[in-house]
Amino acid sequence: MFFHNFRYSLKILTRNRTLLFWTFIFPILLGTFFYLAFSDIEKNETLDVINIAIIPNDSYKNNKIYNEAFKKLSDKKNKDRLFNIKYIDETRAKKLLNKKKITGYLNFEDEDIKITVLTSGINETILRYVIDEVKSEETIINTLVKNEAMNDIKKGNYNIDYNKIYMNANKLLNSDDIKIKDISNNNLSYTMIEYYTLIAMAALYGSIISMFITNYYLANMNSIGKRVSISKISKFKLLFSGLLSSYIIQVFGLLLLFLYTIFVLKVDYGTNFNLVMLLSLVSVLAGLSLGVAVSVLIKKNDNAKTGILIGITMLGCFLSGMMGITMKYIVDKNIPILNLINPASMITDGFYALYYYNTLDRYYFDIISLVLFSAIMLVISIKSLRRQKYDSI
Amino acid sequence: MTVFKTFFKVVKAYRGTIIFYTILLIVFGGMNFQTNDNSMTFTNTKPDIAIVNKDSDNPITNNLIKYLKKNAKIIKLDDSESKRNDALFYRDVNYIIYIPKNYGKTISEGKKVELSIKKTPDYNAYLAYIMLKRYLKVQNIYTKTNTDEREIIKNINNSLDNNTKVKVMSKLNTTELSNMNSYFNFASYSIMAIVIFIVCLVLSGFHEESIIKRTIISSMDYKRYNRLILISGIIYTIITWLVFTILGFFLLKETLFSLRGLIYLFNSLLFTMCSLTIALLVSSLLNNKNAVNGIVNVIALGSSFLCGAFVPSSFLPKSVLNFSKILPTYWYINTNDTLAKLEIINLNSLRNVFSNMIIILIFILVFIILNNIITKYKRKIG
Repeated sequence: MFFHNFRYSLKILTRNRTLLFWTFIFPILLGTFFYLAFSDIEKNETLDVINIAIIPNDSYKNNKIYNEAFKKLSDKKNKDRLFNIKYIDETRAKKLLNKKKITGYLNFEDEDIKITVLTSGINETILRYVIDEVKSEETIINTLVKNEAMNDIKKGNYNIDYNKIYMNANKLLNSDDIKIKDISNNNLSYTMIEYYTLIAMAALYGSIISMFITNYYLANMNSIGKRVSISKISKFKLLFSGLLSSYIIQVFGLLLLFLYTIFVLKVDYGTNFNLVMLLSLVSVLAGLSLGVAVSVLIKKNDNAKTGILIGITMLGCFLSGMMGITMKYIVDKNIPILNLINPASMITDGFYALYYYNTLDRYYFDIISLVLFSAIMLVISIKSLRRQKYDSI
Repeated sequence: MTVFKTFFKVVKAYRGTIIFYTILLIVFGGMNFQTNDNSMTFTNTKPDIAIVNKDSDNPITNNLIKYLKKNAKIIKLDDSESKRNDALFYRDVNYIIYIPKNYGKTISEGKKVELSIKKTPDYNAYLAYIMLKRYLKVQNIYTKTNTDEREIIKNINNSLDNNTKVKVMSKLNTTELSNMNSYFNFASYSIMAIVIFIVCLVLSGFHEESIIKRTIISSMDYKRYNRLILISGIIYTIITWLVFTILGFFLLKETLFSLRGLIYLFNSLLFTMCSLTIALLVSSLLNNKNAVNGIVNVIALGSSFLCGAFVPSSFLPKSVLNFSKILPTYWYINTNDTLAKLEIINLNSLRNVFSNMIIILIFILVFIILNNIITKYKRKIG
């Protein structure tokens, strides 16, 4: 009986094209859209050389400090090259600025420098900082020379060698020995969250499959359910074989999605493949138990149940960052309880922990949460499924 | 009137879906809204940073923190490394600076101390880096030549205190314009989904075999019947557009009351009409009511992702944008993006906008012609 029902459940499920579209094809399509839309976002964030223009008037040409500074900053051999400089007159610079070909242009007027930009922004701020920095150097040298001269005078030495002091100050200025140590993790690609929520969505969409198959055993849903209810076969065996078939199909669908995201979309799931598999299997279980619970607890037709499941899944995915990556962080920061009961967030967080964290505490916390979620859903379902009786239906 | 009434009766039955997509627009179209800052004067972009200070109350350390507070936005985080890691990953902060124990004291003794940092790989982190680097360089120089703490701090602050004058050329209020742009770009998804979804569902109801048979034997002329369906569709579409327009007035306020806003509205009307013709075409091709949801999601989500409704088109790969030129949404969004950047509006600067609108008109024509061919072919089969 078990295998008989198992076989037929598989057949029923694999022949329902709408069901297969939502659980198999839709996540793959959505993943492809994500890939097409997001693949360049992070590349755009890395620093490019900033295009600027300088008006090469006499004030600029006579200013040694700036001449050298800009020569160094725009040197193509310099690995810290920051600027690409065009030396053009003001009318042409204005034109280029209006067309957004340059971030801004510099105009040297006697002692002062004027920066002209189109709007406020990051590149514009970087440009200003660099000019400020060069300006500081002037102040620093002046201060150093003054201090040094004062010291000499205090010591009674009135024969001051300004040239030597100036050289020393300059040497001090150019000794580049600032110590900053970068200890950040390399795995900082936040668009990965999109794909993790996609996996969460696919796993929870699996609930539609288990809901669909559970409906066959409910007397209040359809005529097959009525017939099954009055037959003498073990309901447990029946339900278990049906759910097993739906579990297998869900796992198969998720496996396809994994293969697609790993080999075509190049999604990074971290290095521990076994733990990724464990998380996926538990995620599918959570989806399955959600489907059974909705099917049993909500006494409405098929379409309404599907709507509710899609609604729960999409809300969960929204809260875990599918429609705006920072959403999960915002929820975690402000209403953490919401993500503790949200299965989509547990799944996303599990993958995130594997990708970003070196320790596994957070990952196992997510696994345990998912198992607990599934257990609670299943217990509630079984409680209300047992001893169902209908006087008339 | 019977056809008309039935049309809107079915529309009413799906009001939940309509409300759902409208809420989506309010939430996501409005989520990217930035608060207005006056763009006429230059303001430095401030990176978001976090400071982990292990040092005790020391003037040198305090001065560094004071400098960072002035030039960056300090984000308060819970004192745990995993909270800080999360904040960095989700870009709540771009830069974390760890100040070690006895930092100030060791520095004032003229010794070197290494600062640990964590950073995101983006512009904001770079900004924080050059800011920090500038300070440390100045600090290094003065600790080498001076031993008096107060003197060091005074010299540091003197040397850092210069702000180059910056002139801003643009007269546009970029914040308001980008808000308007993000609203209308996201609206392309909501408009398309609502129009195609509802029109397809309503028409698939009309296309049901039993209903078609009844319509055919009724006394109503089939031309009149078709015309009524078309008019109902157009009225429904215009109502949808009006709702989004009113919503736009609520969210964008006076920005929309301008020539620019008017062109935005006209562009969205044209796009709504284009969505209607797509809906008519899809409903002629489709016989299965269950498939409507899937098809709508693929068409609306697909074109929104590929044309830059969700992610700004300047962030999309070139190849994707080249492909998406075959979709009407591309031209709609291209018009919006162009409008947001125009410094002056005149016939000359609007040339690109007009040509985009003509392209959408061509799309509308093509969809109508295709629809006619298909319905003709289908009638023969029947």
